[in-house]
Amino acid sequence: MESTSHHRSPTEMSLPTRYALYAVLILGSVIMLAPFFLMLLVSLFPGEALLTRQFALNQITLNNYAETFSVVPFGRYFVNSTVTAVTVTVVQILISSLAAFAFARLRFRGREPIFLLYLATLMIPAQVTLIPNFLIITRLHIYDTLLALIIPGLFSALSTFLLRQYFRSIPMDLDEAARIDGASSLRIWWQVILPLSWPVMAALGIFTFQATWNDFLWPLVVTSSDTVRTIPIGLSYFVGQYSTAWNLLMAGSVIALLPVLVIYMFAQKSFVQGITLTGLGGR
Amino acid sequence: MTSETAPAELVRSKEKRNLFRWRPDQQWEAYLFIAPSLIGFTVFVFLAVAASLGISALNWGLSGPKGFVGLENYIQLLRDRVFWKAFGNTVFYIVTIVPLQLAIGLAIAVALNTAIRARDTFRMVYFLPVVTTIVAGAIVFRLILSKTGPLAGLVNGLGDLLNLPLAMPDMLGSTKYSKWSVVILTLWKNVGFTMVVYLAALQGVPQELYDAAHVDGASGWQRFRNVTWPLISPTTFFLFILQTIGAFQLFTEPFVMTRGGPAQSSMPVVQYIYDNAFRFTRMGKASAIAWFLFIFIFGFTLVQNIMQRRWVHYETE
Amino acid sequence: MRTKSLFVALGLVLVLALVVSACAPPATPVSEAPAAEQPAAEQPAAEQPVAEAEPVTITWAFWGSPEEAASHQTVADAFMVEHPEIKIEVWNQPWEDYFTKIQALWASGDSATIPDVAFLWPTPKYAAEGVLENLDSYIKDAGYDLGDYWPGLLESASYQGSVYGFPRDIEVNVLYYNKDLFDAAGVAYPDENWTWDDLQAAAEKLTIKDDSGNTTQYALAMEGGKYAKWVNQNGGGILDDYVNPSKCMMDDPKSVEAITFFADLMNNGYAMRDADLSQAGGDAAVFSSDQAAMIIQNTSRVSAFNAAGKNYDVAVVPIPAGGQRWNGAGGAAWVMSSGSDNKDAAWTFLQWLQSDGGGESLYTDRGEIFPALQSVAESPAFMTDQPPANKQGIIDEAAASGVGGFGYFPEWDELNSSVISPYLESIWAGEANPAEVLPEMCQQANQFLADNGYPK
Repeated sequence: MESTSHHRSPTEMSLPTRYALYAVLILGSVIMLAPFFLMLLVSLFPGEALLTRQFALNQITLNNYAETFSVVPFGRYFVNSTVTAVTVTVVQILISSLAAFAFARLRFRGREPIFLLYLATLMIPAQVTLIPNFLIITRLHIYDTLLALIIPGLFSALSTFLLRQYFRSIPMDLDEAARIDGASSLRIWWQVILPLSWPVMAALGIFTFQATWNDFLWPLVVTSSDTVRTIPIGLSYFVGQYSTAWNLLMAGSVIALLPVLVIYMFAQKSFVQGITLTGLGGR
Repeated sequence: MTSETAPAELVRSKEKRNLFRWRPDQQWEAYLFIAPSLIGFTVFVFLAVAASLGISALNWGLSGPKGFVGLENYIQLLRDRVFWKAFGNTVFYIVTIVPLQLAIGLAIAVALNTAIRARDTFRMVYFLPVVTTIVAGAIVFRLILSKTGPLAGLVNGLGDLLNLPLAMPDMLGSTKYSKWSVVILTLWKNVGFTMVVYLAALQGVPQELYDAAHVDGASGWQRFRNVTWPLISPTTFFLFILQTIGAFQLFTEPFVMTRGGPAQSSMPVVQYIYDNAFRFTRMGKASAIAWFLFIFIFGFTLVQNIMQRRWVHYETE
Repeated sequence: MRTKSLFVALGLVLVLALVVSACAPPATPVSEAPAAEQPAAEQPAAEQPVAEAEPVTITWAFWGSPEEAASHQTVADAFMVEHPEIKIEVWNQPWEDYFTKIQALWASGDSATIPDVAFLWPTPKYAAEGVLENLDSYIKDAGYDLGDYWPGLLESASYQGSVYGFPRDIEVNVLYYNKDLFDAAGVAYPDENWTWDDLQAAAEKLTIKDDSGNTTQYALAMEGGKYAKWVNQNGGGILDDYVNPSKCMMDDPKSVEAITFFADLMNNGYAMRDADLSQAGGDAAVFSSDQAAMIIQNTSRVSAFNAAGKNYDVAVVPIPAGGQRWNGAGGAAWVMSSGSDNKDAAWTFLQWLQSDGGGESLYTDRGEIFPALQSVAESPAFMTDQPPANKQGIIDEAAASGVGGFGYFPEWDELNSSVISPYLESIWAGEANPAEVLPEMCQQANQFLADNGYPK
């Protein structure tokens, strides 16, 4: 993903070809952006505007947003999503990096088999563990709490695998030098390995954050109270209850998108890298 | 993709390696390091997988297991018309979404991999839907594709203008088109991902190969066919597998947009798992479907891994 | 070496599993959920004689929009004034996912989270699963009068001859008509003598289409799911027996005729297609916005139309020539969880809810329900001077109540949503011909019944 882009010589393309290319790319961009534009447009006008197709500039209002917040506890959803996504991201990376550190840089009996076991779980679709995990959550009496949303997300074979690969590329000499200075493994992990792994952790973190933020099936299954719902779930209920109030639905959608979009704007490179690295396209 | 042997390990000298002989203290330390992760995995993955297999052999009702039925849940699936319908829908999603997504993603990537202005902006725009919340995307497309929505207005307006009998089909209310609505949404959502991965692969194709082909008088298409395509085939393979698995697991898009309807016409297998587990309280049957799905994905990946030898070109020294 | 270390790993996994299961319960209390989590209930050891002064708390579950929830809260408040010894905590979900969620609560088996009293539909399904309390002994001990319910109604809340719930209301589907649109089209208002032919003739006049043949004003909007009304009026049926079915009756010529009648209303553009109706926001929305001149719906729409000041009235639903009036006797019921840890308090609440002067009267008074109790329907709580004027029409439909709208067996929900509804949906979409697909549907339904061991 490094931008070692070697541009073709401009002469290679004829002028008409070039214009045609721009036209197609711009048309494609319009298609990609139109839904966002529509979302924003509808969310900024009173409900009748969409029915009559009259979007007069002087009608622009933020009322829909205010109303969205008053009919549905979007503020609460927002807090739930944030707490869940941030906790999962931070703790998952910590837990995974601890394990990855052991797999990459410590020797212990059973290392290879356990690691293989981890790798094997990458093959298993989430639907297989959905039902048992739901039952485990209810047996732990944490159904319909934020813990139910967070805990199963803390353990990721993918993160562990990717971090291990990265840790293995860091020269072993660094550990050895630190060990000779009397550093413990914990210290090496924290002060030598983690600081060197920022790029991969940032990318991984961003992926984990957006995947958790956008997750649907699991929160759908383990939440039932307004006080615990995350934004995508709250939004999907909104569809059922206010199926005609497009202005409110769109305002809700904008609210749901905003945080991820803002992070994307600022950390575009890490974002793309994270999603590409983990190869899951945000599903 | 990632090299298994990091150079550092080769550099390491023999006597230093002695320091890293298995030592009991380091052993226990290592177990402590993996403990948090392993405990979680044990409960939520290993135990869960075993439990899932067990549940699939049970008759399970609302108040818990009601008896052991062996393979009965699996056998029933074989003649469950709704299951096959859902499975058929999922197959439809795979055979439409995967090729379209690869083709469109590749086309955009090739276009962007030229001397073009504002390439980064284009890339950002095309990638934008990938990061969006799918529920929000599904809601907007419900509006866009509805019978009275903006797209219908556009098509009808165009029809009036050109005096042609143009009319938007009922994308959400008709059993013929509801699946296509899901395909459209999914393409919009995921094409940017394919594009980004292809773009990275294309930038790894050495310029000299193109120059050589150019000298030989190869046309643009020939260069793509004979140079680009073989060289990026590992990426194509990777994306093919990944997108197929993704399409197998499709759920949110149809669930939010059409609830699988009308008449189950857009319901994917995963929604049938959800319905059985959480609406009909048939946890056993739902688990059996999940395992069916798993076996299918596994088998598919295995077959593809064997088939790849025919068309994927890895650089060999 | 390899196999050995694999065993070590597996052993480790097992040990960890034990450790985890031993450690698990204490990890619980950090709960973010405010409602329904009573730590006290998790230690049932102390049979709470100490709590004499403290009110007993019961959880009350229902579905509904924020407005409906507010109404339920008023009812709970009224009860708590009369019974200070019982505290009601409410648990509210939107209808769409209420059932999924409440099933999850029961599946958890945790008495602290299981609702004590819940609003439920269809009762027999849950009764069969054993999550509901059999109310027979409570009814006997309290001398509660079951005779006050409309005929056929209690069957919808019974299982194997025992009562498991009390229907709060009876769903009475009547014809609402917009007087202004009828006047504009010069059509006489519907009355009890209307037949299907009259309905069809009126529909032609009330439908307005644009140049390209698209309907801009529909004569009728009616949810496809209410088809059983036409079928039963015409002497057809969904199943041969609604408690212990042996076969599907939708391929009976009378059923086919009724479905064809309804489908033709849609195919001719007189009635809104089901999918269009839901895309447009439901019958209340299209009736309010004058997009449809008539709707066929239960009495729950009254308060909204009154609030909006619509110029409307109701009438009995037209029947075919030679047919009979029919209304599906069903209504969601209040039930008690068998896992409840406060059954006596729950019964006190249930009995109060279902009494003249208690919850029934409050709901009826607010114009939200047509009461399940005949005494309340004849009381001033229902006989108000508010619209609709034709209250007798509602009572006439209610008196024609009977079984036939749905099955009273546990698998009905699954049969309906996985076999029956999909076929009907494609008929409502105009993509299937009733005479062709209904026999096929019945074949599937019969297969389903056989697979599930019916008739038993």
